[in-house]
Amino acid sequence: MPYREKTAWLSLIAMAVTFGPYFTITANSMPEALPNLRQFGLFAIAAMVQMLILGMGHLYLGRRSPQDARTPPDERDRTIMRRSISSAYYVLIVGMILVGCVMPFRSSGWTIINAALFMIVAAEVVHYSVVVFSYRRQA
Amino acid sequence: MMEGSISNRIRVLRFLNGEMSQAELGQRIGVTRQTIAAIEAGKYSPSLEAAFRIAQVFNVPLAEVFQWDTKATQGA
Repeated sequence: MPYREKTAWLSLIAMAVTFGPYFTITANSMPEALPNLRQFGLFAIAAMVQMLILGMGHLYLGRRSPQDARTPPDERDRTIMRRSISSAYYVLIVGMILVGCVMPFRSSGWTIINAALFMIVAAEVVHYSVVVFSYRRQA
Repeated sequence: MMEGSISNRIRVLRFLNGEMSQAELGQRIGVTRQTIAAIEAGKYSPSLEAAFRIAQVFNVPLAEVFQWDTKATQGA
């Protein structure tokens, strides 16, 4: 498995184990009022655990295959990166239009914040999923 | 539009060049082993520059490495 596919899997797993529970908890107890320290604390924990997993994961993968980690991306890696970023861009732009232009008329506070976070995470999931899919089918 | 696909003889040329490994070919043209495997399998079309580099490694013209296979299509 190419090094860059491994790092994409790592990012997907890190998001699943941090923002998966975050959005599940949030959906079950939708906070409205601002500020909400419990909600902010929950987000801070999710973000820190994600950074920890990514940091340790990259360290582990880099030590297991230092040569691959040092090798700069080649033309196929860059093509896959471009494809994945353009796919994620559409998700992000649609999400931001919904969150920024539609939701303020119907919701407020943490609902909007969490919707924005959800769209960012969704865009990242699309980004890394396209990377994994592209490497899997060797494209 | 003319339909077709790109085929290549990289596997044969590697064999004819002392069973050169994908990793070695990749190193010589500046791409990873996985990229060579993808090109060889016809899953990824390399840039023109990479294609010329591959031909240069095997010391053959580009047309001996890559071929354009046209498909017969119906209609305008």
